[in-house]
Amino acid sequence: MAALPKRIVKETERLMAEPVPGISAVPHEDNLRYFDVMIHGPSQSPYESGVFKLELFLPDDYPMTPPKIRFLTKIYHPNIDKLGRICLDVLKSTFHTPFLQTPTRLTRAGNWSPALQIRTILLSIQALLGAPNPDDPLANDVAQRWKEDEQAAIQTAREWTRQYAKA
Amino acid sequence: MSVSDIDQRPAKKRRFFVEESPIEEKGPFANGLPADHHDASSSTSINTLDETLPDAVPPASSQTDISIHNGTGENGEDGSVGFDKQTFESFVGDKVATATFDKLREVSGDNMELAINMYLDGSWNTAPVAAAQPTRPTSSSIKDAFCSRLPERNAARLKLEEKEPQIKTEKREVLERMPEYRYVGAFGVGAWATKSGTSLLGIGEAIKIERTKIRPPVKIGRGGKAVQPAKLSAARMRVDVIVRVTNARGEEVARLPKETADWVSTLMDQKVCRFDGGCFLAPERLRVNDTIELQLRCSLLRRAFEASGFRRPEDNNRTTGIFEEKETSEEKDLRLRQVALMKLFDEINLHPSTINDTTAKHKRQGILQAAEIAEQHDKDEESKKSTSTPGGSSTPPDEEAEEGKELEQDQLDSLYKKAQSFDFDTPTREPANTFVMDLRKYQKQALHWMMSKEKDEKSDSKEISMHPLWEEYSWPTKDMDDQEVPSVAGQSSFYVNPYSGELSLDFPAQEQHCLGGILADEMGLGKTIEMLSLMHSHRSEVSMQASESSINSVTNLPRLPKSSSSVEPAPCTTLVVAPMSLLAQWESEAAKACKPGTLKTLVYYGSDKAANLQNLCCEANAASAPNLIITSYGIVLSEFNQVAARGGDRGSHGGLFSLDFFRVILDEAHFIKNRQSKTAKACYEITAQHRWVLTGTPIVNRLEDLFSLVHFLRVEPWSNFSFWKTFITVPFESKDFIRALDVVQTVLEPLVMRRTKDMKTPDGQALVPLPPRTVEIEELELSKQEREVYDYIFTRAKRTFNATMEAGTLLKSYTTIFAQILRLRQSCCHPVLTRNKAIAAEEEEAAAASDVANGLADDMDLQELIERFTSDSNSGEQDIANKFGAYVLQEIQSQENNECPICSEEPMIEPAVTGCWHSACKKCLLDYIEHQKEKHTLPLCFNCRLPINQRDIFEVVHHDQDEAEDLYNATQPGEPSKLPRITLRRIGNSSSAKIAALIAHLKALRLSNPGTKSVVFSQFTSFLDLVSLALTQSNIPFLRFDGAMSQKARAAVLTEFAVASAKKNGHGMVLLLSLRAGGVGLNLTAAKRVFMMDPWWSFAVEAQAIDRVHRMGQDEEVKVIRFIVGGSIEGRMLKIQERKKFIASSLGMMSEEEKKMQRIEDIKELLS
Repeated sequence: MAALPKRIVKETERLMAEPVPGISAVPHEDNLRYFDVMIHGPSQSPYESGVFKLELFLPDDYPMTPPKIRFLTKIYHPNIDKLGRICLDVLKSTFHTPFLQTPTRLTRAGNWSPALQIRTILLSIQALLGAPNPDDPLANDVAQRWKEDEQAAIQTAREWTRQYAKA
Repeated sequence: MSVSDIDQRPAKKRRFFVEESPIEEKGPFANGLPADHHDASSSTSINTLDETLPDAVPPASSQTDISIHNGTGENGEDGSVGFDKQTFESFVGDKVATATFDKLREVSGDNMELAINMYLDGSWNTAPVAAAQPTRPTSSSIKDAFCSRLPERNAARLKLEEKEPQIKTEKREVLERMPEYRYVGAFGVGAWATKSGTSLLGIGEAIKIERTKIRPPVKIGRGGKAVQPAKLSAARMRVDVIVRVTNARGEEVARLPKETADWVSTLMDQKVCRFDGGCFLAPERLRVNDTIELQLRCSLLRRAFEASGFRRPEDNNRTTGIFEEKETSEEKDLRLRQVALMKLFDEINLHPSTINDTTAKHKRQGILQAAEIAEQHDKDEESKKSTSTPGGSSTPPDEEAEEGKELEQDQLDSLYKKAQSFDFDTPTREPANTFVMDLRKYQKQALHWMMSKEKDEKSDSKEISMHPLWEEYSWPTKDMDDQEVPSVAGQSSFYVNPYSGELSLDFPAQEQHCLGGILADEMGLGKTIEMLSLMHSHRSEVSMQASESSINSVTNLPRLPKSSSSVEPAPCTTLVVAPMSLLAQWESEAAKACKPGTLKTLVYYGSDKAANLQNLCCEANAASAPNLIITSYGIVLSEFNQVAARGGDRGSHGGLFSLDFFRVILDEAHFIKNRQSKTAKACYEITAQHRWVLTGTPIVNRLEDLFSLVHFLRVEPWSNFSFWKTFITVPFESKDFIRALDVVQTVLEPLVMRRTKDMKTPDGQALVPLPPRTVEIEELELSKQEREVYDYIFTRAKRTFNATMEAGTLLKSYTTIFAQILRLRQSCCHPVLTRNKAIAAEEEEAAAASDVANGLADDMDLQELIERFTSDSNSGEQDIANKFGAYVLQEIQSQENNECPICSEEPMIEPAVTGCWHSACKKCLLDYIEHQKEKHTLPLCFNCRLPINQRDIFEVVHHDQDEAEDLYNATQPGEPSKLPRITLRRIGNSSSAKIAALIAHLKALRLSNPGTKSVVFSQFTSFLDLVSLALTQSNIPFLRFDGAMSQKARAAVLTEFAVASAKKNGHGMVLLLSLRAGGVGLNLTAAKRVFMMDPWWSFAVEAQAIDRVHRMGQDEEVKVIRFIVGGSIEGRMLKIQERKKFIASSLGMMSEEEKKMQRIEDIKELLS
């Protein structure tokens, strides 16, 4: 494995030294590009008091391409699918990856920029938990439900959080 | 039958063997000889005409002979004794009235021979009685008269002049009163009769061979043109080659066939030979056009040996009419004579007994052929109406069309190689103690050589060898009748120079009495110093005494020379003629090289030349005379013109030409390479004891170049142009290169000393040790963008090539393909080079216009920008953006928050700013843009996600505080802390792999060796433009030198480069040179680094360019870096370069077509 770029080293150091409240990211010892991430569900959200585990991988051409990130903890969220994939513009490059090329999403460009960092991405995800966006869904069934009966959906989310995202 | 018909008659000739000859020597034959001699030599009209040839002599001499014979009474058959009417009548074959006879006798002064002639040509009627005797002797030169004196006188003279030929002891009475000549051989010839009749010529009857037209006593009718007494032009005379055969009675009976007459006439006209003979076979009844077989005896006249028409140093044309042009009739005579002699020896079957090795290589045949070519050439010229001969016009323009073919480079090389056989064991000589500089060994060797040349010392007493151009012939001991021919003691052979037609009885030793030579050391080996050491070490006697006595020189007041009208010797003075630009250098070198006061130097130029040189330098003023006068070619020429205007009065002019210098030196002597230029002619006229020329290139491109030098040096016989032409030019032009060059080598060898800086001493040391030189090839990667351009052009070129290959029109479309190859090479340097200039310019303009609209320029001063942004804070959105911009810029300026958002480097590596004022490392920024482009998306700003254009990326350039700011600091002392001056500069303009690499090297050099100067070579001046742009941007000082600059500007650039001191930022001066303009001659030793931006077809050209830096005077290691783009045409060009080293220099011998074919092979390889 090639030497770790200065950028990754610096980001890691900073994540350790000045952790963001409610978020932690720890690299694997055997692969410094691979991070174990914990995000606390934001307060006043269905995910409050839940602790969500994510995995984060920095690809070789990071920061030209965005980090790959996925929820490991099951979560009921219109922008996060069963596999834990997240639909968030900053996580997408300014191009469309083929598997996301469905007619609805084509128009939407990614918003990743190399100026973004792990920290900012994780904050964005945390924010996403606080503000689900069913108009740009990834899990269609969840989004459907969210739109039809938001209370019920939120209830389900709370249940899932209690069930899967135990602190 | 017309006369011309007769002349054109087919030749009839038959060779007779000597044994068969029945000819007897008889009275009439003997008697006929004087008349024959007279007639053959001249008629009166010729006498008056031809002054140069001693034609006037024969009548006088025969007359003198006779009268003296009379006096001594030595000879029974003497003319005056036998001058009776009867004899006379038998001679003229006519009855003569007594009165007529008396008159004749009176007029001729009792000279029967003369009388007969006068009678025959009718001049006796008009000839003044008294005048005949006194006028004739005066008209003849003393010398000639002298040489045909009495036998006793001759004998006496012979005692004085040792090797003079002895006159034949008389075997036959008839020979006694003849002028001296000696039998060399006989040959047979079939003459054709011009007369009908019986008993005109009996078998065995002696005949005479005559040249002059005689008025035959018997009417011949068509006998040819009657006497043309008055002014026959020399040219017309030569056309007439009719040689008449007269019988014992003096009647013309026949003529020699044209073929024989051609050369016989020459030999007779030029007084080389005499012919007599006898009839061998003739019909009893002769009819016109019958063949008469004759046996001709040929004897060489003694005069031919002594009074040769060729210039001895003392009587050459310079002393007589010094400013006259050389006559070409001279040259022509020479040629005719040389051909005639060769033919003669051929006919009489005489072969040289000894030939010099050199001559042996060049068969006689070759000479004849050469002469014929020359003749043909002359005819061509005449027909072209080029009125006369080289030098015919009195004022040829300075740069006249030079004649002679140009030498190919390789021929020149091989010539030099031959001339460069320098022996490192030659003795050395220490310079005189007044010379204070240290000489290297080879310079001391040069000094030794020069001194031995000046003092004419033989380097070693070799056995005297025969002059290379001469041949030795043995005198025959028996004549055609197998009779013993009297021999002369110590004179068993004679010598002939087949190239000049010269004859000699003396052994022609090989020596060149030239007290000087050609010092042709390569530039930089110190020719000037060597010469100065010679001036110190070899002085004339007078000069030595003068310098000794000068200590108490109170009495040595300037005196006037004895006579100022003649050329005065200047025994203490060396004259140096140099190009004007070198005058100062000579002066300073001379001053440096000598102990103070030991060498008085005068620069004779401009206002300093008021002095009367003759007074200054003459022997009387030896003590105070300048030892060295330095002048320019221009002065020599102008004084030459002045003297010429005074009709050649050298002495009273008081200038350069009024002195006979101790030594003259022409520096950069290729100035006079054109022998017809006025400057060259002026230089030839400088008189001096010792003559030297200095030049690094004795032959610039023609063999004639060398002739001019040799002529200046007055090296006999080479300084004779006709000689040179026959021997060198003509063989060379007729493609006999080897022969011509061989001869040139024999000319050069004793004259030239040449060393090159490549020469190695036997122990492998360079003559002048140079610091090492390393050449490194740096392979570069093209950027993606560049590669695309390259590939595009490559495919196109290849397509064209293949198409033309298939069509077989390769040679026709040669230029097209070549142009495409050129493009390819250019695209390796910078893609912009390949673009159409107009389009490129338009694009630039458009871009610039849009920039102006956006408020962006290529270079922006940050401080100004900030000020602009902050000051016009009016209102609205604009304001916000501007404030942000100002904030960002201030951040950049203060170098705060200087982490790259992309790579997290802190501070940023080469920070760059987008058009939306976001900064990152330049590389990160470009990479990101590239990344987005690869994904086919519109590049957006990493920060604000606004679209960005690659053009709108600006580099931040920090300017060094110390430079140029000093001025500000001085004017604004109060300003406490100045922010560093920063400008933004658009990137992308220098986006070429080579330029980037060059800049990187220069930057590295600044750190490792601050102040080191570099030279950058490229063949594309447009590429140099781009390089200079990049250099400006990187704040690297540079100068530019290319072919478009004026001579003056070039000189200024070179001086500036040599003296430029390093900038405070540590960057040494960089000189940008176009390979073509800067490849030759320049001295760039101030630089220590060479960057070759692009390869040339042969490395030799590049090497020559590198040698501008790595040459004499370079005191540090020179590093050369050749930039080559990997995987491109350039790499393949290197391979071709390699290959070309092996194809020997035979390239020079290739024809244009062959060269093209070779190129096509190259192209195939390039596009493979």
